[in-house]
Amino acid sequence: MAQIYPGTSQVAQNRRNFTNPEYELEKLREISDEDVVKILGHRAPGEDYKSVHPPLDEMDEPDDIVRELVTPIDGAKAGDRIRYIQFVDSMYFAPAQPYLRARSYLSRWRGIDTGTLSGRQVIEARERDIERLSKILLETEYFDTARTGIRGAGVHGHSLRLDENGLMFDMLRRQVFNKETGKVEMVRDQIGVDLDEPVVLGEPLDEETLKAKTTIYRIDGEAYKDDKEAVEVLHNIHVSRSFGAFDPNAGW
Amino acid sequence: MDIEIFPHRVLGSDTTEKLLNDLESIDDVKRTVIHGPRFPKTEETLPPQYRERRVINVNGEDVVLQVKTGRIFVELTMESTIDEIEKVCKQHIPYGFDINQSKTNYIRKEQTVSDRIKYGDMDLPDELIGMTDQYSSFEDHVKIIRKDDFD
Repeated sequence: MAQIYPGTSQVAQNRRNFTNPEYELEKLREISDEDVVKILGHRAPGEDYKSVHPPLDEMDEPDDIVRELVTPIDGAKAGDRIRYIQFVDSMYFAPAQPYLRARSYLSRWRGIDTGTLSGRQVIEARERDIERLSKILLETEYFDTARTGIRGAGVHGHSLRLDENGLMFDMLRRQVFNKETGKVEMVRDQIGVDLDEPVVLGEPLDEETLKAKTTIYRIDGEAYKDDKEAVEVLHNIHVSRSFGAFDPNAGW
Repeated sequence: MDIEIFPHRVLGSDTTEKLLNDLESIDDVKRTVIHGPRFPKTEETLPPQYRERRVINVNGEDVVLQVKTGRIFVELTMESTIDEIEKVCKQHIPYGFDINQSKTNYIRKEQTVSDRIKYGDMDLPDELIGMTDQYSSFEDHVKIIRKDDFD
């Protein structure tokens, strides 16, 4: 059994759930394939995938044992372009956060590249694969309509105070709160280009659910220092990497 | 003396309206400044269900909101008023708030070079100093609300 993450708190358990590829993530909302394509903004819905090389079957590739061992993902097989989706997670009890996203992406999927920054997290893959993954990322617990932003550009906001209705600050106002329906709607795609029709993402999760689902240790939620086991493991890692192979008793 | 009310969330127009009405009805409150991020320029073109900006009514006067309420600076004379303000805030801000008193002045009290550039050599009344920044026009940003005089 792989040891994914230490700790006895709910936050630690949530971190393990995300990172464990065997754990099935809870599906919270339904977003159609067409809407996902609209949100991504890489191609118009219904448009063919552009390609950067001919399909692998038609290419005359040199004999290579690795090529035989590794089954190419669908997008690579077809020669799709590499596209991306980027998320911003609010510090205020967002379900996921950048480092966790990186760990869980890499433990769950093949053929992706992911980049972690303090406030945002990008995932790149071949176009048809990124669409498939985006659908999972948007529909499951990775995403909350208010505390998670889909932002290709203009990402500022993860550490700012929330709006009164619980939405994270977004300078381009892609996700907006519909007062009449109480749902969050996406009126622009991830880089801020206006959409013809808004994409309804759904209602934001309530505060209790978010606190139960979050993977962020916070002093006003579950504090890291209270999770004795996680702190102990961190402490061990700190000590062992500080000393390296040095043995203070032996003197070398 | 001044205090700063710092809500833990950025307040929308409705809450700002209720809060300001109750703050203004406290006798000792002399001036209030709302401070926060400006409403985006595209706000007016948005369909009504998404719009947050609107004209609010404070003590019978219409006030056009320019910013979302991130902080409120309040000028008062007595320390005891802070308790009243706290009570009002507790009623309207359910997400929590801080009342800060670490600075003596949150609203500027002395005239500066910028004021002189903006208004010229005129004598600026004390109650108008510090009410607007040099980048904005006075009419847009300052609203004089009369206190009720009936007793």
